[in-house]
Amino acid sequence: MTPSATPDSPLPPSSPTANNENNLQPFFVLHKPIPKKSSRKAPQSAKTRRKIDLSTETHKFNKSEGVKQVEQIVDDHLYQQLRVEAFDIIWSKIEITIKEVLRGININVFNEIHQWVRKSFAAIRSTAGTLNSAQLTCPYPLTIDIDCKKIFTGLVFTKNVEFVDDLLTFNDLSLHLKSQGCHVVNLSSLDFSAKSGISACIWSLLRQFVMVDPDVADITILASWYNEPDNFNNPLVVIIDDMERCNGSVLSEFILMLSEWVIKLPVILVMGVATTIDAPRILLPARALHYLEPCKFALGSPAERLDAIVEAVILGTNFGFDIGYKVAVFLRNYFLRQDGTVTSFIKTVKIACAKHFVKEPLSFLCRGLLDEDCHDFLLQKCVLLPESMREYAFSLPSCEGLDKTTPLTGESLASGISEIVKLKKNWSSVFMCLYEAAKFQKKQVVDVLCEALDPDAYRTRGSLQRRVGEVIAKSHSVDPYSATKGSFIFQVIRKVRDLPMKQLCQLLQVWEKHSEEIAELHEKVKELQSLLKSEEENNGGQADVAVLSKRLATRSYMNIQRDKGKVYDKAALLLESMIRDYLKPIECVPFHEIICFKDVDILQSALVGDPRRMIQVDLLKSHKVLLCSCCTKGGNVLLPSMHDTSIMYTLAQEHGDLINLHDWFKNFKSTIVRPCTNAKGKMRSPSSKKRKHSIEPEDLTDALVQARFCRAVIELQITGLLKMPNKRRPDYVQRVAFGL
Amino acid sequence: MDVNEAVDEEEFGFSRNYFLAKELRGSAKKSGGKLSDLKLVDEQELRDATSKLETKHEKEIVALMESYKSQYYQWAFELRCGFGLLMYGFGSKKALIEDFASTALTEYGVVVINGYLQSINLKHVVIAMAEILSDQLKLKRKSQQPFSSKSLDDLLIFLDGSHMKESDCFVCVVIHNIDGPGLRELETQQILSRLASCSYVRIVASIDHVNAPLLWDKKMVHTQFNWSWYHVPTFAPYKVEGVFFPLILASGGTAQNAKTALIVLQSLTPNAQSVFKVLAEHQVAHPDEEGMPVNDLYTICRERFLVSSQITLNSHLTEFKDHDLVKTRRHADGQDCLYIPLTSEALEKLLQEIG
Repeated sequence: MTPSATPDSPLPPSSPTANNENNLQPFFVLHKPIPKKSSRKAPQSAKTRRKIDLSTETHKFNKSEGVKQVEQIVDDHLYQQLRVEAFDIIWSKIEITIKEVLRGININVFNEIHQWVRKSFAAIRSTAGTLNSAQLTCPYPLTIDIDCKKIFTGLVFTKNVEFVDDLLTFNDLSLHLKSQGCHVVNLSSLDFSAKSGISACIWSLLRQFVMVDPDVADITILASWYNEPDNFNNPLVVIIDDMERCNGSVLSEFILMLSEWVIKLPVILVMGVATTIDAPRILLPARALHYLEPCKFALGSPAERLDAIVEAVILGTNFGFDIGYKVAVFLRNYFLRQDGTVTSFIKTVKIACAKHFVKEPLSFLCRGLLDEDCHDFLLQKCVLLPESMREYAFSLPSCEGLDKTTPLTGESLASGISEIVKLKKNWSSVFMCLYEAAKFQKKQVVDVLCEALDPDAYRTRGSLQRRVGEVIAKSHSVDPYSATKGSFIFQVIRKVRDLPMKQLCQLLQVWEKHSEEIAELHEKVKELQSLLKSEEENNGGQADVAVLSKRLATRSYMNIQRDKGKVYDKAALLLESMIRDYLKPIECVPFHEIICFKDVDILQSALVGDPRRMIQVDLLKSHKVLLCSCCTKGGNVLLPSMHDTSIMYTLAQEHGDLINLHDWFKNFKSTIVRPCTNAKGKMRSPSSKKRKHSIEPEDLTDALVQARFCRAVIELQITGLLKMPNKRRPDYVQRVAFGL
Repeated sequence: MDVNEAVDEEEFGFSRNYFLAKELRGSAKKSGGKLSDLKLVDEQELRDATSKLETKHEKEIVALMESYKSQYYQWAFELRCGFGLLMYGFGSKKALIEDFASTALTEYGVVVINGYLQSINLKHVVIAMAEILSDQLKLKRKSQQPFSSKSLDDLLIFLDGSHMKESDCFVCVVIHNIDGPGLRELETQQILSRLASCSYVRIVASIDHVNAPLLWDKKMVHTQFNWSWYHVPTFAPYKVEGVFFPLILASGGTAQNAKTALIVLQSLTPNAQSVFKVLAEHQVAHPDEEGMPVNDLYTICRERFLVSSQITLNSHLTEFKDHDLVKTRRHADGQDCLYIPLTSEALEKLLQEIG
């Protein structure tokens, strides 16, 4: 049944006979793996690369540079391998961090669920305690009181419209409960489909609990497995990640069955609910609901999870990979406006990371940035870089502002990159200080992040800060930040002056922690803290209300307020200076291209393809893709040389939602048989089309024109842009897409 | 804000275009021309011409395909990273993807699914993949049962094994037209997505239909297929993909219908043919009637010993209806009548042929 190619010689797709045969097979083996032989592999791949590059990049090089070019390409292959390795290491670090963050967010709920599971299990066991051992071990369910048939059911509210994020959460929950000794299975809505009925979920239970694949879905197999001494002392937890997508009747049947067995098989249900508490009532009939003993749990919202991930990945540890402003904005907008799932956010970051390592020749250097002492690594690598790569590094756009006296050596490249790492570290610390202040205004971390990464905002901030400084110097009565509306960062700075004393103390404490790495800043924060402390002491700490009210009338109160104002000013000024000195976006630093991914277009096109639009654009602007000399000069005029399907689709645009096949054919025919010199445009009167019949070239027979028409219709049908005629309207096809 | 406005504008554009198109149908272009007015060539001639069609811009198409070769390294890299590649854009991508697989993925086993075909047994595909993988991992399978006797779930579990030995070991499945007719069912897509999410499997697929993304939910897109999209228009003719599509200028006309009817009838039992003949003769004799009442047909057929009971007749009728040979409509007096949706001339010709 299985057709296969000979293992050692993969069939080239060009061999026609084999191809024709394979084309009509539902599937075939294109080739089996050629075992890796290091002696053979390297030159072969290098050769492939060479061929490819010669064909596509010839315009960049002179022929005399051929030898050099080949060397470079072989080198290139080596560096490709290094980049692949660097990506593997860096992404696995990021991935592990993300997983830890997500687990950390849920750990409290997981513990709560575990405690509840244990309590429920104890309750079931206490009921079972009234039964004798013969009853407990008999292989059939017991007829007992209805109250003893209750199934403890945890309803976990996911606060998610999309359940895709919860898959990971419930997997983590499962691992957590397993680590605590529970027997756990994960079921999904696929196990509760009307088509396969209850047997599918019993099979799933048996497969996961007992690890057997029986011929008959029989719950007694589970009962006898559970009666084994190793299994008997722990609860059976069944997690259903998306209850609302299950088939109601299958789920209720499942519940009824479990209720019969619950004393012998202490099953505890955990069900993910995306909507409200009413969900089980809507889905399940009363007779099933009757057996549920619900308990509520709530997970964090997607926005909270996103914030935590952003904090850990983009701001936290240095991973040797960074994103630029536009990418950050794209990530934020994609999350807020389109998708709203953390899963796709993570995927987007991964695509960005992969694209970066593919596109950036020097990205393999990022690998060294993971180590504490990266300079040695960088130095070692940069010194060994071939001349061409060093030249490339110094020709990066970010190096334009580089000091002209900087020698173009590996050493200066290495120190340039280590500089970025240092800068990024300080940047992260200061950003955290800013973000802590922003938290009092309930600002989202991504919003502040986007502004902090924006190089333009950085430049305008510089000039604004100078203006603010001037205003403060002139007069204290005017709000110096009035000119800075619209900037999150300035809003935060301004609000620092309005914080209550207690919150300012808190803020300074966090700043102290975050600024530990920057000695100068740390000193200033400490200074401010002691100033605040002495202020408090002078004023008797937090003055109680009675004293305050007395003081309110006095002059001294005004002085106190003014002094206090000074502390606030100082705090605001400190934040401002931090931002000015340290919050320099990575995109303003030389060599940042090596670790920073900025190409938002590539990211967007890889993440969300837009076939509906792009396929239409391909058809309507075919000459722009094909880059042929014959059709480009026509502009918007339809030329006979154009791709047939392209002509047909452009003609279809003139029709309504129904296209009369007769007219369409006539139009098509008149377009393709029209002599090029006489091309007037696509809007032509029917009479002129008729006249064209007489000058039809001889080689374009009726059969040929009709065949071309048919093929174009088939191709449009394959793209889904046309619906075929139905019996009611045999002479019309229907257009599907209107506008791009 | 401006992004929102742009989105609104785009949506408005959509609906405006739609209503404009609707309007256009009512007024401007109502020529009512019929396909039968065209001088259509014979079907065989049309088919011959179709098979001999030359491709326009062949040189440019070859250049376009060549230009994608520089991306092969990137594609292979992303596959290794765990992404699935999804190729879209106008033109057949079959040759492109197979060329990619046979030059850049030689280290891995590659199985190709032709999704443009009508029926595809995914289990056979998964068995083939499992066999390749076990060869690759050099597993000794003597004690194990053969893959062909394992269930699909077991096979998928095998393909989803943990990467213990080599991290860079997988079988690649190439799916031409993952949106094709044989793979469009939700259940099939779910199996494919489970297959794609296996740790030992990587997927390269192509889509051609503009609405293909509607086949998948977010779980499939982001966690299972894990698509990385590539817009790679090739403008290559859909030669194989279009093989099973009817030629629009060949399927019309009475001659065609009578011909198909004949082919269907010839495959039926002589008794069934005779039942059809009774109905056809009645229709030819009474061209102005709505059709033949079921009871009358039954009586005549019984008299001629063509059927023994109403049940046998009904089974014949079901067969006819399934193939659009016979239809029912309501007679003026309320009873259901059977009729053959062919013109009298076509019917007479058909009677001669089966006679």
